[in-house]
Amino acid sequence: MNVNHEADDLARQELTARLSLIENMIAEGRQKTESWGWTFVLWGVAYIAAIVFSNLGAPITEWSTWGHHTLAWPITMISTLVLMFGYIGLIGDKGGKQPETTMGRAIYSMWIAMGISMMIFFIAAGISGRLDEHIYIAVIGAMLGTTNFASSMILKWRAQLFTALVWWTAAVVACFGSLTQSLIVFLTAIFLAQIVFGAYGMISERKMLAQKSGAVHA
Amino acid sequence: MPEPDTETMTELPELNPVIHGKLRLALLSLLSTVEEAEFTWLRTKTAATDGNLGAQLQKLEEAGYVEVEKKFVLRKPQTLYRMTQAGRQALTDYVQALKQLLGSAINV
Repeated sequence: MNVNHEADDLARQELTARLSLIENMIAEGRQKTESWGWTFVLWGVAYIAAIVFSNLGAPITEWSTWGHHTLAWPITMISTLVLMFGYIGLIGDKGGKQPETTMGRAIYSMWIAMGISMMIFFIAAGISGRLDEHIYIAVIGAMLGTTNFASSMILKWRAQLFTALVWWTAAVVACFGSLTQSLIVFLTAIFLAQIVFGAYGMISERKMLAQKSGAVHA
Repeated sequence: MPEPDTETMTELPELNPVIHGKLRLALLSLLSTVEEAEFTWLRTKTAATDGNLGAQLQKLEEAGYVEVEKKFVLRKPQTLYRMTQAGRQALTDYVQALKQLLGSAINV
């Protein structure tokens, strides 16, 4: 009788282990191993670099967001884009490409759509001469606010909701504030919503990877 | 000699032996969360060896639970695995059967 009881216990333990395995693997499959925190840091640094390059040679009192060299922004943005996709290709080759999920595609789509919208708008507005620093910051703030907000809703990530609020604040200040105020708020938004948030994302991603489970054997 | 409990025996479901293997179960569970996955991704997630992983995936393919697509991307071979509708149904049935068995074990 005891033998039967022990056998039942073993069978039950094995079945429970199978159920746990299913749950763990589903959680593992949904877990993103891709690292995106660095892209926020990269773009934050790129924005600051573009501001610096566009103002090179100008006295500090004449510093502005758009700057004095009109090619500085497009060149910095295109270089960053190439750098980002080059690095994504490199890490994709090493660790195996992350499989596509509906959620992942929704988030990529939003960011790609935002990038294309920004590019079209800024090229058109720049060439037509209708682009000034206030509009520039307001549009960047509104677009990044929208995309971060939508992404935070999909991912249920409060930290990203904070970045959306930061960008929307920058957009509003750019509309009502002076040029100096707008530039200060823009730089603050870049620092908080790109560099600090990106660094936080990178730390979180590393923690998640460290908690990964071991091997599954047949 | 006590008679076997025929009622319980007929009521309890059998577990699908194709899915019951640990690695095959892990693979189907992983594939249920994505649209398609590369061999390398499955290997990273399960930490299985290439040989073992390939053999278990082949068994799942033979059972009609996964589909395989082989292609070249930038001149590099890429093997993609997708869960079929039959695979999804089999996994759902397996989980139901597992829960039923565990329920009966707990109730005993």
